[in-house]
Amino acid sequence: MSPRLRVALLALSGLALLPGAAAVIAGLPPFGATIAQYGERINAIAPDARHVANMVSAINFDLRGLDTLGEEFMLLAAITGTVVLLRGHRGEGNSGRAMRRAGRALIPRSEAVVLACRIAGPLTAVFGLYVVVHATVTPGGGFQGGVILASATLLIYLGEGYAGWRDAVRSHWLDALEGGGALLFALCGLGPMLMGAAFMQNVLPLGTFRDLFSGGLMLIENLGVALAVTGGFTQLFLEFMEETRATDEPEEPGEESA
Amino acid sequence: MSMLPYAVAAWLFGIGLYGIATSRNFIHLVGCLGICQSATYVLLLGLGYRWGSIAPIFYDHPPGTPAVDPVMQALVLTDIVVGATLTALLLVLTIQAYKRGGSLDPEILRPMRPGGQPDRGASRADDGERTAP
Repeated sequence: MSPRLRVALLALSGLALLPGAAAVIAGLPPFGATIAQYGERINAIAPDARHVANMVSAINFDLRGLDTLGEEFMLLAAITGTVVLLRGHRGEGNSGRAMRRAGRALIPRSEAVVLACRIAGPLTAVFGLYVVVHATVTPGGGFQGGVILASATLLIYLGEGYAGWRDAVRSHWLDALEGGGALLFALCGLGPMLMGAAFMQNVLPLGTFRDLFSGGLMLIENLGVALAVTGGFTQLFLEFMEETRATDEPEEPGEESA
Repeated sequence: MSMLPYAVAAWLFGIGLYGIATSRNFIHLVGCLGICQSATYVLLLGLGYRWGSIAPIFYDHPPGTPAVDPVMQALVLTDIVVGATLTALLLVLTIQAYKRGGSLDPEILRPMRPGGQPDRGASRADDGERTAP
Protein backbone atom coordinates (compact mmCIF):
# COMPACT_ATOMS: atom_id res chain seq x y z
CA MET A 1 0.00 0.00 0.00
CA SER A 2 1.43 3.35 -0.95
CA PRO A 3 1.79 5.96 1.81
CA ARG A 4 -0.63 8.28 0.07
CA LEU A 5 -3.32 5.62 -0.09
CA ARG A 6 -2.68 4.78 3.55
CA VAL A 7 -3.15 8.38 4.68
CA ALA A 8 -6.29 8.62 2.57
CA LEU A 9 -7.63 5.47 4.20
CA LEU A 10 -6.77 6.83 7.64
CA ALA A 11 -8.49 10.13 6.90
CA LEU A 12 -11.54 8.31 5.59
CA SER A 13 -11.84 6.09 8.66
CA GLY A 14 -11.20 9.11 10.87
CA LEU A 15 -14.06 10.96 9.18
CA ALA A 16 -16.28 7.92 9.61
CA LEU A 17 -15.44 7.67 13.31
CA LEU A 18 -15.70 11.40 13.98
CA PRO A 19 -19.49 11.54 14.52
CA GLY A 20 -19.30 8.63 16.95
CA ALA A 21 -16.43 10.18 18.87
CA ALA A 22 -18.22 13.53 18.99
CA ALA A 23 -21.38 11.85 20.30
CA VAL A 24 -19.42 10.00 23.00
CA ILE A 25 -17.58 13.15 24.09
CA ALA A 26 -20.82 15.08 24.20
CA GLY A 27 -22.39 12.32 26.29
CA LEU A 28 -19.62 12.28 28.89
CA PRO A 29 -20.16 14.21 32.10
CA PRO A 30 -18.63 17.70 31.93
CA PHE A 31 -15.01 17.75 32.98
CA GLY A 32 -14.56 18.12 36.72
CA ALA A 33 -18.24 17.94 37.63
CA THR A 34 -18.56 14.48 39.08
CA ILE A 35 -16.72 11.17 39.42
CA ALA A 36 -17.94 7.63 39.01
CA GLN A 37 -19.88 6.08 41.86
CA TYR A 38 -17.41 3.20 42.15
CA GLY A 39 -14.50 5.47 42.97
CA GLU A 40 -16.68 7.53 45.29
CA ARG A 41 -17.69 4.42 47.26
CA ILE A 42 -14.08 3.21 47.49
CA ASN A 43 -13.03 6.62 48.86
CA ALA A 44 -15.78 6.37 51.45
CA ILE A 45 -15.32 2.76 52.52
CA ALA A 46 -11.70 1.70 52.04
CA PRO A 47 -9.99 3.82 54.74
CA ASP A 48 -12.16 2.16 57.39
CA ALA A 49 -12.36 -1.27 55.84
CA ARG A 50 -8.65 -1.68 55.04
CA HIS A 51 -6.94 0.88 57.33
CA VAL A 52 -4.98 2.32 54.40
CA ALA A 53 -4.61 5.98 53.50
CA ASN A 54 -3.57 5.55 49.85
CA MET A 55 -6.65 4.59 47.86
CA VAL A 56 -4.68 3.83 44.71
CA SER A 57 -2.70 1.17 46.56
CA ALA A 58 -5.89 -0.16 48.13
CA ILE A 59 -7.33 -0.68 44.66
CA ASN A 60 -4.18 -2.09 43.13
CA PHE A 61 -3.32 -4.52 45.87
CA ASP A 62 -6.61 -5.38 47.48
CA LEU A 63 -9.91 -4.42 45.92
CA ARG A 64 -8.77 -5.22 42.40
CA GLY A 65 -5.70 -7.24 43.29
CA LEU A 66 -6.47 -9.88 40.71
CA ASP A 67 -6.10 -7.27 37.95
CA THR A 68 -2.71 -6.31 39.31
CA LEU A 69 -1.69 -9.95 39.44
CA GLY A 70 -2.54 -10.25 35.76
CA GLU A 71 -0.65 -7.05 35.03
CA GLU A 72 2.32 -8.30 37.01
CA PHE A 73 2.50 -11.36 34.78
CA MET A 74 2.06 -9.18 31.70
CA LEU A 75 5.14 -7.27 32.86
CA LEU A 76 6.97 -10.55 33.41
CA ALA A 77 5.97 -11.79 29.96
CA ALA A 78 7.06 -8.57 28.23
CA ILE A 79 10.44 -8.59 29.97
CA THR A 80 10.90 -12.30 29.30
CA GLY A 81 10.15 -11.67 25.63
CA THR A 82 12.67 -8.83 25.55
CA VAL A 83 15.36 -10.96 27.16
CA VAL A 84 14.68 -13.94 24.89
CA LEU A 85 14.82 -11.78 21.77
CA LEU A 86 17.96 -9.92 22.79
CA ARG A 87 20.03 -12.63 24.39
CA GLY A 88 21.78 -13.88 21.31
CA HIS A 89 25.48 -14.52 21.46
CA ARG A 90 26.30 -12.19 24.28
CA GLY A 91 28.63 -13.39 26.98
CA GLU A 92 28.49 -13.04 30.70
CA GLY A 93 31.68 -10.99 30.59
CA ASN A 94 31.75 -7.53 32.04
CA SER A 95 34.37 -5.70 30.04
CA GLY A 96 33.87 -2.06 29.25
CA ARG A 97 33.31 -2.78 25.58
CA ALA A 98 29.57 -2.36 25.74
CA MET A 99 28.06 1.08 25.22
CA ARG A 100 31.04 2.04 23.07
CA ARG A 101 31.06 2.54 19.38
CA ALA A 102 34.10 1.62 17.40
CA GLY A 103 35.87 4.64 16.03
CA ARG A 104 34.29 7.10 18.41
CA ALA A 105 36.56 9.08 20.70
CA LEU A 106 36.68 7.87 24.25
CA ILE A 107 36.17 10.70 26.69
CA PRO A 108 37.28 9.89 30.25
CA ARG A 109 34.55 10.13 32.82
CA SER A 110 34.82 13.36 34.74
CA GLU A 111 35.45 13.11 38.46
CA ALA A 112 32.49 15.38 39.10
CA VAL A 113 30.20 12.84 37.45
CA VAL A 114 31.65 10.01 39.54
CA LEU A 115 31.24 12.00 42.72
CA ALA A 116 27.71 13.11 41.87
CA CYS A 117 26.67 9.53 41.06
CA ARG A 118 28.25 8.13 44.22
CA ILE A 119 26.27 10.64 46.25
CA ALA A 120 23.04 10.51 44.29
CA GLY A 121 22.97 6.73 43.73
CA PRO A 122 22.55 5.62 47.36
CA LEU A 123 20.20 8.54 48.03
CA THR A 124 18.04 7.50 45.08
CA ALA A 125 18.01 3.92 46.33
CA VAL A 126 16.94 5.05 49.81
CA PHE A 127 14.23 7.23 48.30
CA GLY A 128 13.03 4.29 46.20
CA LEU A 129 12.85 2.09 49.29
CA TYR A 130 10.95 4.84 51.09
CA VAL A 131 8.44 5.05 48.26
CA VAL A 132 8.07 1.26 48.24
CA VAL A 133 7.49 0.70 51.95
CA HIS A 134 5.10 3.63 52.37
CA ALA A 135 2.79 2.32 49.67
CA THR A 136 -0.27 2.20 51.89
CA VAL A 137 0.34 5.54 53.60
CA THR A 138 1.61 8.20 51.20
CA PRO A 139 1.75 8.44 47.40
CA GLY A 140 3.88 5.68 45.99
CA GLY A 141 4.00 1.93 45.89
CA GLY A 142 5.81 -0.99 44.40
CA PHE A 143 5.59 0.12 40.79
CA GLN A 144 6.82 3.66 41.34
CA GLY A 145 9.41 2.71 43.95
CA GLY A 146 10.64 -0.17 41.84
CA VAL A 147 11.34 2.12 38.91
CA ILE A 148 13.18 4.56 41.21
CA LEU A 149 15.28 1.66 42.55
CA ALA A 150 16.08 0.59 39.00
CA SER A 151 17.19 4.17 38.22
CA ALA A 152 19.50 3.98 41.23
CA THR A 153 21.25 1.01 39.65
CA LEU A 154 21.62 3.04 36.44
CA LEU A 155 23.40 5.73 38.46
CA ILE A 156 25.95 3.05 39.39
CA TYR A 157 26.56 2.57 35.67
CA LEU A 158 26.93 6.29 35.14
CA GLY A 159 29.40 6.64 38.00
CA GLU A 160 31.40 3.44 37.86
CA GLY A 161 31.39 2.58 34.19
CA TYR A 162 30.06 -0.52 32.54
CA ALA A 163 32.50 -2.96 34.13
CA GLY A 164 31.76 -1.67 37.60
CA TRP A 165 28.06 -1.81 36.93
CA ARG A 166 28.21 -5.41 35.77
CA ASP A 167 30.25 -6.27 38.86
CA ALA A 168 27.62 -4.71 41.10
CA VAL A 169 24.52 -5.93 39.28
CA ARG A 170 24.44 -9.64 38.51
CA SER A 171 22.18 -10.86 35.77
CA HIS A 172 20.97 -13.96 37.58
CA TRP A 173 20.10 -11.91 40.67
CA LEU A 174 17.86 -9.85 38.47
CA ASP A 175 16.19 -12.96 37.11
CA ALA A 176 15.61 -14.14 40.66
CA LEU A 177 14.27 -10.73 41.74
CA GLU A 178 11.89 -10.54 38.83
CA GLY A 179 10.54 -14.09 39.04
CA GLY A 180 10.60 -14.13 42.83
CA GLY A 181 8.58 -10.94 43.02
CA ALA A 182 5.91 -12.31 40.72
CA LEU A 183 5.92 -15.59 42.69
CA LEU A 184 5.51 -13.70 45.97
CA PHE A 185 2.51 -11.87 44.55
CA ALA A 186 0.97 -15.12 43.32
CA LEU A 187 1.57 -16.76 46.70
CA CYS A 188 -0.19 -13.81 48.36
CA GLY A 189 -3.19 -14.82 46.32
CA LEU A 190 -2.92 -18.55 46.96
CA GLY A 191 -1.87 -18.36 50.63
CA PRO A 192 -5.24 -17.23 51.99
CA MET A 193 -6.86 -20.14 50.15
CA LEU A 194 -4.84 -22.56 52.29
CA MET A 195 -6.42 -20.94 55.31
CA GLY A 196 -9.88 -21.43 53.89
CA ALA A 197 -10.34 -17.85 52.78
CA ALA A 198 -11.00 -16.55 49.28
CA PHE A 199 -8.27 -15.88 46.72
CA MET A 200 -6.21 -12.88 47.84
CA GLN A 201 -8.49 -12.20 50.79
CA ASN A 202 -6.79 -9.87 53.23
CA VAL A 203 -6.30 -12.29 56.12
CA LEU A 204 -3.38 -10.58 57.85
CA PRO A 205 -3.93 -8.07 60.67
CA LEU A 206 -4.80 -4.74 59.10
CA GLY A 207 -2.64 -2.57 61.35
CA THR A 208 -3.17 1.06 62.24
CA PHE A 209 -4.46 3.71 59.87
CA ARG A 210 -1.69 6.07 58.69
CA ASP A 211 0.98 3.75 60.05
CA LEU A 212 3.78 2.12 58.04
CA PHE A 213 2.35 -1.28 58.98
CA SER A 214 -1.15 -0.95 57.67
CA GLY A 215 -3.06 -2.82 55.02
CA GLY A 216 -2.13 -6.38 55.99
CA LEU A 217 -1.49 -8.52 52.93
CA MET A 218 -1.10 -5.43 50.76
CA LEU A 219 2.36 -4.78 52.17
CA ILE A 220 3.63 -8.17 51.02
CA GLU A 221 2.03 -7.89 47.60
CA ASN A 222 3.54 -4.44 47.28
CA LEU A 223 6.95 -5.84 48.14
CA GLY A 224 6.55 -8.52 45.48
CA VAL A 225 5.68 -5.91 42.87
CA ALA A 226 8.64 -3.76 43.92
CA LEU A 227 11.04 -6.71 43.58
CA ALA A 228 9.65 -7.67 40.19
CA VAL A 229 9.72 -4.12 38.82
CA THR A 230 13.24 -3.44 40.11
CA GLY A 231 14.57 -6.69 38.69
CA GLY A 232 12.66 -6.37 35.46
CA PHE A 233 13.62 -2.82 34.60
CA THR A 234 17.28 -3.32 35.56
CA GLN A 235 17.25 -6.43 33.40
CA LEU A 236 15.92 -4.33 30.52
CA PHE A 237 18.76 -1.80 30.89
CA LEU A 238 21.29 -4.60 31.08
CA GLU A 239 20.03 -6.40 28.01
CA PHE A 240 19.91 -3.25 25.93
CA MET A 241 23.44 -2.33 26.99
CA GLU A 242 24.71 -5.82 26.24
CA GLU A 243 23.19 -5.43 22.80
CA THR A 244 25.69 -2.68 22.03
CA ARG A 245 28.65 -4.89 22.86
CA ALA A 246 30.69 -5.68 19.79
CA THR A 247 31.17 -9.41 20.03
CA ASP A 248 33.97 -9.95 17.57
CA GLU A 249 36.29 -7.15 18.59
CA PRO A 250 39.44 -7.87 20.59
CA GLU A 251 39.80 -6.36 24.01
CA GLU A 252 41.77 -3.17 24.08
CA PRO A 253 43.77 -2.92 27.25
CA GLY A 254 44.04 0.27 29.22
CA GLU A 255 40.81 1.61 27.89
CA GLU A 256 38.69 1.49 31.00
CA SER A 257 38.70 4.89 32.59
CA ALA A 258 37.90 6.10 36.08
CA MET B 1 -14.11 24.29 28.12
CA SER B 2 -15.72 21.40 29.92
CA MET B 3 -14.95 19.07 27.01
CA LEU B 4 -11.37 20.23 26.49
CA PRO B 5 -9.58 17.26 28.18
CA TYR B 6 -11.55 14.75 26.15
CA ALA B 7 -10.87 16.66 22.96
CA VAL B 8 -7.16 16.74 23.84
CA ALA B 9 -7.24 12.96 24.34
CA ALA B 10 -8.94 12.44 20.97
CA TRP B 11 -6.45 14.79 19.31
CA LEU B 12 -3.46 13.00 20.87
CA PHE B 13 -4.81 9.66 19.71
CA GLY B 14 -5.41 11.07 16.24
CA ILE B 15 -1.92 12.50 15.72
CA GLY B 16 -0.45 9.30 17.14
CA LEU B 17 -2.40 7.27 14.58
CA TYR B 18 -1.35 9.66 11.80
CA GLY B 19 2.26 9.21 12.85
CA ILE B 20 1.92 5.44 12.83
CA ALA B 21 0.31 5.43 9.39
CA THR B 22 2.94 7.68 7.79
CA SER B 23 5.97 6.44 9.71
CA ARG B 24 9.16 5.72 7.78
CA ASN B 25 11.11 4.49 10.79
CA PHE B 26 10.23 1.86 13.37
CA ILE B 27 11.65 3.84 16.28
CA HIS B 28 9.50 6.80 15.27
CA LEU B 29 6.58 4.38 15.05
CA VAL B 30 7.12 3.15 18.61
CA GLY B 31 7.19 6.77 19.75
CA CYS B 32 3.90 7.42 17.96
CA LEU B 33 2.38 4.43 19.70
CA GLY B 34 3.49 6.02 22.97
CA ILE B 35 1.60 9.18 22.00
CA CYS B 36 -1.53 7.12 21.31
CA GLN B 37 -1.10 5.62 24.72
CA SER B 38 -0.69 8.96 26.45
CA ALA B 39 -4.12 9.84 25.05
CA THR B 40 -5.50 7.14 27.34
CA TYR B 41 -3.78 8.75 30.34
CA VAL B 42 -5.38 12.10 29.56
CA LEU B 43 -8.77 10.50 29.01
CA LEU B 44 -8.70 8.43 32.22
CA LEU B 45 -7.38 11.20 34.43
CA GLY B 46 -9.86 13.64 32.89
CA LEU B 47 -12.73 11.27 33.58
CA GLY B 48 -11.65 10.82 37.18
CA TYR B 49 -11.14 14.49 38.01
CA ARG B 50 -13.46 16.67 40.03
CA TRP B 51 -12.93 20.34 40.84
CA GLY B 52 -12.06 21.09 44.44
CA SER B 53 -11.12 17.52 45.29
CA ILE B 54 -7.90 16.27 46.84
CA ALA B 55 -5.76 13.38 45.68
CA PRO B 56 -7.22 10.06 46.92
CA ILE B 57 -4.71 9.81 49.76
CA PHE B 58 -6.12 10.47 53.20
CA TYR B 59 -2.93 11.21 55.08
CA ASP B 60 -3.05 14.96 55.54
CA HIS B 61 -6.80 15.16 55.01
CA PRO B 62 -9.26 13.08 57.03
CA PRO B 63 -11.22 10.34 55.25
CA GLY B 64 -14.42 11.75 53.87
CA THR B 65 -12.79 14.77 52.22
CA PRO B 66 -13.95 14.88 48.59
CA ALA B 67 -11.28 13.16 46.54
CA VAL B 68 -10.82 12.40 42.86
CA ASP B 69 -11.55 8.96 41.43
CA PRO B 70 -8.86 6.52 42.65
CA VAL B 71 -9.87 3.83 40.15
CA MET B 72 -8.74 5.97 37.22
CA GLN B 73 -5.43 6.71 38.90
CA ALA B 74 -4.82 3.02 39.53
CA LEU B 75 -5.63 2.30 35.89
CA VAL B 76 -3.21 4.97 34.67
CA LEU B 77 -0.51 3.60 36.96
CA THR B 78 -0.77 0.11 35.51
CA ASP B 79 -1.09 1.61 32.03
CA ILE B 80 2.23 3.42 32.39
CA VAL B 81 4.11 0.41 33.75
CA VAL B 82 2.86 -1.98 31.10
CA GLY B 83 3.42 0.68 28.43
CA ALA B 84 7.05 1.08 29.43
CA THR B 85 7.81 -2.63 29.22
CA LEU B 86 5.89 -2.99 25.97
CA THR B 87 7.89 -0.11 24.49
CA ALA B 88 11.03 -2.02 25.43
CA LEU B 89 9.66 -5.15 23.77
CA LEU B 90 8.78 -3.24 20.59
CA LEU B 91 12.23 -1.65 20.48
CA VAL B 92 13.76 -5.11 20.73
CA LEU B 93 11.62 -6.25 17.82
CA THR B 94 12.90 -3.18 15.97
CA ILE B 95 16.49 -4.22 16.66
CA GLN B 96 15.78 -7.70 15.36
CA ALA B 97 14.05 -6.35 12.26
CA TYR B 98 17.08 -4.17 11.59
CA LYS B 99 19.41 -7.13 11.99
CA ARG B 100 17.38 -9.29 9.63
CA GLY B 101 16.40 -6.73 7.04
CA GLY B 102 19.10 -4.08 7.33
CA SER B 103 16.68 -1.20 7.53
CA LEU B 104 14.24 0.48 9.89
CA ASP B 105 11.92 1.68 7.18
CA PRO B 106 8.72 -0.37 6.93
CA GLU B 107 8.49 0.57 3.25
CA ILE B 108 11.85 -1.01 2.49
CA LEU B 109 11.61 -4.08 4.70
CA ARG B 110 10.26 -7.10 2.92
CA PRO B 111 8.37 -9.91 4.61
CA MET B 112 10.56 -12.67 5.91
CA ARG B 113 10.33 -15.92 4.01
CA PRO B 114 10.40 -19.31 5.67
CA GLY B 115 13.81 -20.90 5.57
CA GLY B 116 15.60 -18.11 3.80
CA GLN B 117 17.16 -14.70 4.12
CA PRO B 118 15.21 -11.71 2.87
CA ASP B 119 16.15 -10.02 -0.35
CA ARG B 120 19.32 -8.32 0.85
CA GLY B 121 20.34 -6.59 -2.33
CA ALA B 122 17.23 -4.45 -2.53
CA SER B 123 16.79 -3.85 1.16
CA ARG B 124 20.27 -2.45 1.80
CA ALA B 125 20.69 -0.38 -1.30
CA ASP B 126 20.32 3.09 0.17
CA ASP B 127 21.56 2.42 3.67
CA GLY B 128 24.90 4.16 3.91
CA GLU B 129 25.23 4.31 7.68
CA ARG B 130 25.69 0.66 8.43
CA THR B 131 28.96 -0.47 9.88
CA ALA B 132 28.40 -4.18 10.45
CA PRO B 133 28.99 -6.43 7.46
